[in-house]
Amino acid sequence: MRRKRSVVTDRDTSALPRTPRARSKTPRPASAAVPRPASTPVTDPTPAVEVDLSVDLAPSRPGALVLRNPLLVASGTFGYGVEYGEVVDVDRLGAICCKGTTLKPRVGNPPPRVTETPAGMLNSIGLQNPGVEAVLEKYADQWVRWQVPVIVNVAGESVEDYVAVARKLDGQPGVAGIELNISCPNVGKGGLQFALDAGAAGEVTRAVRRATDLPLLVKLSPSAADVRAIATAIEDAGADAICAVNTLSGMAIDRHARKPFLGNTYGGLSGPALKPVALRVVYEVAQVVDIPIVAIGGVGSLEDVLDFLMAGACAVQVGTALFADPVLPVRLIDELDEWCATRGIASPREIVGAALPTRRDRPSVKGVEYRP
Amino acid sequence: MRLFDAELLHGREILPGQWLQGYRAPWLATGAAPGQFVHVRTPDWSGLVLRRPFSLNTIDRITGEVTIHFRVTGKGTDLLARMHPGDSVGMLGPLGRGFEIDPRSRHLLLIAGGLGMAGVRCLVDEAIATGRQVVVVFGAATAAEVYPSSLLPDEVEYVVATDDGSLGHHGRVTDLVTGYEAWADQAFACGPEPMLAALARLARGRDGRLGVARLGRKGGVRAAPLGSAQARRASWLQVSMEQTMGCAVGACLGCVVMGVEGPQRVCREGPVFAPDEIAWPESA
Repeated sequence: MRRKRSVVTDRDTSALPRTPRARSKTPRPASAAVPRPASTPVTDPTPAVEVDLSVDLAPSRPGALVLRNPLLVASGTFGYGVEYGEVVDVDRLGAICCKGTTLKPRVGNPPPRVTETPAGMLNSIGLQNPGVEAVLEKYADQWVRWQVPVIVNVAGESVEDYVAVARKLDGQPGVAGIELNISCPNVGKGGLQFALDAGAAGEVTRAVRRATDLPLLVKLSPSAADVRAIATAIEDAGADAICAVNTLSGMAIDRHARKPFLGNTYGGLSGPALKPVALRVVYEVAQVVDIPIVAIGGVGSLEDVLDFLMAGACAVQVGTALFADPVLPVRLIDELDEWCATRGIASPREIVGAALPTRRDRPSVKGVEYRP
Repeated sequence: MRLFDAELLHGREILPGQWLQGYRAPWLATGAAPGQFVHVRTPDWSGLVLRRPFSLNTIDRITGEVTIHFRVTGKGTDLLARMHPGDSVGMLGPLGRGFEIDPRSRHLLLIAGGLGMAGVRCLVDEAIATGRQVVVVFGAATAAEVYPSSLLPDEVEYVVATDDGSLGHHGRVTDLVTGYEAWADQAFACGPEPMLAALARLARGRDGRLGVARLGRKGGVRAAPLGSAQARRASWLQVSMEQTMGCAVGACLGCVVMGVEGPQRVCREGPVFAPDEIAWPESA
């Protein structure tokens, strides 16, 4: 039997307290939290808690980017949303982040471009895409017909590039938001340079912010020396949310040919191997910014989703795990719903940041705190 | 394209390190065409994050059995080879565009290099079922790696070349192709990229003289757009390409090969291409 699912609300979630609501130590059983409606059959074993999975990724723009659930698909792994259409019910997803889009068409890197590594994979696609105009022409009609918001991932070589793409996306029907990709490790120019320096990250974010009113998400790199400074700069520049993290640069060797395996030599590491790194970045960023954080990095199970929520993320993106199981995000939505319902938690927002240090925690006495 | 579980019926090592496995996959058997592939998921506990793509080796539409033929090259294929009959694996398929057989062609030449047999083997059954004549030209490094003729139907003419001369022709498989060039209406090849590149050089510019072209065209010569089914049918040679793969549905752009009109996705535009779509390396 299917439970009734939550619906999108226009409720402004920014009014909600950011810190988790104080709950009693022992979670009450679900049946005690909300009385069972009289219409529900007594034989129904599922608790009658209606879980509100919705999440607002742009609290300062009420209603601009309210997702029905916190499960997104990560940029580069879901194409433009149409490719998986035959096997995945895309309208159930929280949102789709489309493949990185640039001003001009890009051919991408020479093959081979992907390889599996221990508990992860390397990719060096190199932002192959037909350019922003072709993308809109080809897919925007489809995006309009979907209920699921489509967030366009924007990449560029210079601030002007980013701004030009953002201008073209601004006001386009079907485009729900922009994810600023300042952290692609696989391209020469414009790849990482903006994500490693707080000044540059702030500059590009501010420029794009001025160019568009679309909800603006900025994607961090795990390679930054201190992600907190960069996250703060991005927040100050007016971003609506922060995505953490992009891939980590790595490489593989073709032992038979005695040369680097990937055509581009270097590739971005993603998958379960990246999860602890992503978790650390989310945890650090959550302590310094007030805007929502979208976690990316090795999400493959409900446990991973809960870990990221407790570390301070409002939503998570599923990426590499899609390749093995394309319907995983849809299943995770149901699992998260059930997990909350059985514990009497009205919304996953209640556990967001539950693992963050509180003021009562005394300073560490074990010497200098770890600084990456 | 659909996600489903397939049960392993039988599996055996037909050549050193090369396995032939039969799976019960009725849906795949009814919907798949020769040249298409299936994306196989290893068990969750394997810790592997990518599926493994395999060409459909044979398709039995009546019993609903499909076979795959692969070499154990790493953890994923090793796990598959160790499976027992009755075990299930997740599959996604059928994927890609298969071989385009012109309805008029009577003589098919299949060119396979090593494990490339897995890519063209399916055409043998298809051709025999439709009353066509088939020649399989097979190349391997040594006699120990030659695909057993017992696994091919009796109607097939099977010609073998080995690099060390231990069986059949001493030399490259491409040497044998010239002997069948005029006979074949269409040729289908799968194998290592240098072999495909050599064949592409051989076939370049000959589409007008070879193959279905000389069977006569209705309504004159129409130039079909590059990459269309029509253009591929008109090409004397079609090649099945291989590339490391991510999603296999065209989303990740990981499995591209460089084509003359930019990168081509092996999983969507391929795995079968006409050779003039591919930008072959010059010194291959």
